Formats: sequence, structure tokens, C-alpha cells
Amino acid sequence: MKARVGILVFPGTNSEEETLRACEAVGLDARLLHWTASSQQVRAFDAYVLSGGFAYEDRVRAGAIAARDRLMEGVREGAAEEKLVLGICNGAQILLEAGLAPDFDGQALPQAGFTRNIPGGRFRSTHVHVKLAIAPSRCAITASLQSESVVPAWASHGEGRLAADAYVLERMRAHGHLAFLYCDREGGTAGEVVPNGSALGVAAVTNRTGNVLAIMPHPERDAWTFMHPEEYGSRADMLAPSGGIELFKSFAAALR
Amino acid sequence: MKTCVIEIALTIPDNEAYTALTTLQRLGAVISDLQRADVWRFEAEDGYETALIDRVRTLETMYNPNKHEMRVRDRDGREPGEVWIDDLGHDEIERPVVISGRELPGVVRAVRYMGWRLFVSEGRPAPTEVVRSAVATLLCHPAFQRAII
Repeated sequence: MKARVGILVFPGTNSEEETLRACEAVGLDARLLHWTASSQQVRAFDAYVLSGGFAYEDRVRAGAIAARDRLMEGVREGAAEEKLVLGICNGAQILLEAGLAPDFDGQALPQAGFTRNIPGGRFRSTHVHVKLAIAPSRCAITASLQSESVVPAWASHGEGRLAADAYVLERMRAHGHLAFLYCDREGGTAGEVVPNGSALGVAAVTNRTGNVLAIMPHPERDAWTFMHPEEYGSRADMLAPSGGIELFKSFAAALR
Repeated sequence: MKTCVIEIALTIPDNEAYTALTTLQRLGAVISDLQRADVWRFEAEDGYETALIDRVRTLETMYNPNKHEMRVRDRDGREPGEVWIDDLGHDEIERPVVISGRELPGVVRAVRYMGWRLFVSEGRPAPTEVVRSAVATLLCHPAFQRAII
């Protein structure tokens, strides 16, 4: 039986369809889960994906209102039961706002956040690569990736810079919460590879128990070759899977 | 040096403030209203206050007369029931203070705050402990924002 994955949709979410397609492509039974869903409907899923967009129009802050939405109560309960939770872009902002990552000391409060890009706070849409910076098994969602895997994705955000105070950052580094770092296509982290000024070049954060992953750039937008720059070929080639799908394969493998 | 505080608030319905109000109420805050305004705090050289205010009135990215009202506050600091939130390292501009490509005359420093004003009932400002609780619950992200209560 296929694992059931709920793709959360808040007012203003806009990446649910491509996230759904990526989940279905790796064999998951993915369904859209709207903000009007009952708690019982939320609990029925084996895992959750929070997709990108502008939930609640980014009112107050990106992800702030959605993180406190009733729908998130079920996700929070699921995360506590070690169900998998993947947040992409705005979904990642929501997870950090909800305190589900890095999740020190079991506090349901934000300890780190994704905030305005540097320089200038400008929105950036650019192709990036991210490198797995923890042991694959540290996070269930990355457990089937190779060590130091490089995953292509699209950064598409104005508020993707990881920010936390120095103590929290050091704690995140020391305890393996910094799941992915921005890199070049060969995996090098030197040079101008970070699109947003993120602290320590971080692109993704996991939680204490490794069942929650908050990733800023969009792997689902580089899931097929036609989405990937520089690799256009024949029509058949363009519909072949691309590197971003690897993260979804690993996510699906963890649900088997 | 003179400090000039200018408040710019929407005259049309403020959906963001309404969403914040209903979210806080759902999370247990006992408040009846929540208002939001951009609060600009300028430090300007003596004699430039009038020129500064006139310039702000012409900058439509700050003040659009079709949907904003502008008020020059008669004193510095928060009003009762109010908190100012700014993003650390982002909302402060040192001389030359250029907004929308135009320099503000005589201004040596400007800080833009999000001013939230909370009310408990019938226009009565919320006490400090209620404001503090709303800040911790929703209005300020401790990792990258600062709240001045």
C-alpha cells in the first residue's frame, strides 16, 4: 500500500501542483490538504509536505500566520509521532516559524528563521545546487541519498536567509541540523554560491529527531529535465527525471 | 539634532492587521482591536523638519494619499498599547538617507518600524503585559526582529 502524503494548501500557497506531481512520480499517494480540513483528515496522512508560495500573503511575516493555523496542530502532532514533514520554501519558513525545526528543547517557539535576503532584501529567482551536509541517516528524508549528494533546485524567494543568534547557530551546527548547504554543481561551497546571504550558507534545516526537513530552494522545480537549465535535448530527454527528484525518491523510500 | 516621528497608516481596510488580530484572539489574547502603521523615526539636523515632512509627502512608496493618512507625532517613543518592531540590520538607514531614489534633506539616520497598537476594549490601549504577550506569541520573531515596547 502506498504511503499517504498530505500536501498542505493554505490561502496563498502556489506550488502544490508541482509538489503533488513530484510526490506521485516517486510512487506516493499524495493528496492536497486544504486549510479547511478537519483534524481527523489531517491525522489520516502518513507524512506531510508544506509547499511553496505565500501562505496568508506573508502577513505579519512569511509563514507566521500559517505556522499558527489550526491545520498545523495536526502536523505538529504528526511530527511528534515522528511522521515525516518536508517544508519547501514558504513551507520551510512555516516550519521554522512553528518551531518544528531546529526544535531544541521541545519548544513550540521559533528559534531560527528564514528572513530577508542580503543584499537589499530583494526577491531572487535563480538556479542553485545544494549539498547534503550531514550524514544521510541523520535525517530520515535524506537517508537514501548518497553522502554529500548534490541536488539541483530553484531558489525563488525574497526571505530565504537563515538567521539565528550565534548560540543557536552554533548549536545547530554542532548537532547536525544544517542539512543542506548551497554549493556549485560540483559541490564546492566556496565563492558566490549562496543566493541570499544565508548564515553559514545554509539551504535546509532538520530537527532534533531528523523527521522534519525545511529546505528553502525548490527541488520539485528541477524534477524533470525541461526544468533544468543547460540540459535541453530531445523531447524524450526533456521529460526525463532531473536531479531534484532524488530528494523525493529518498522521501518516498523513508515511507516504505 | 531633532527627532521627527512620522506615522503612515492605511485608510482602507487593513487585511494584515485583521488577520493578526484574529490569529492573536484565537491564540488567547484578550484584545478587541489591533492597528498597524509604518512608523518612521528620523534624526534630522536642526531646521530641516519642514523640508523633511514635505519630501515624505511626495514619496509615494512611503505615502500614497489615496490610501494612507500621515501623522507627524508630537513626541518620540511608543504610544500607549503600542510596540515597534524592526528587522535587525535591515530597517536602519544612515546618511545619505535615500528613499525611492531621493535623498531626504538634513536626515542623518532613519529607522522604519512596524508599529502595532493593541486595544482591549472601546479604544482603551492594551496594558504592557498584553502587548508583551502578543509580541512573544506572534508579532516579533526573536531570531531576526527586535521589539521595542
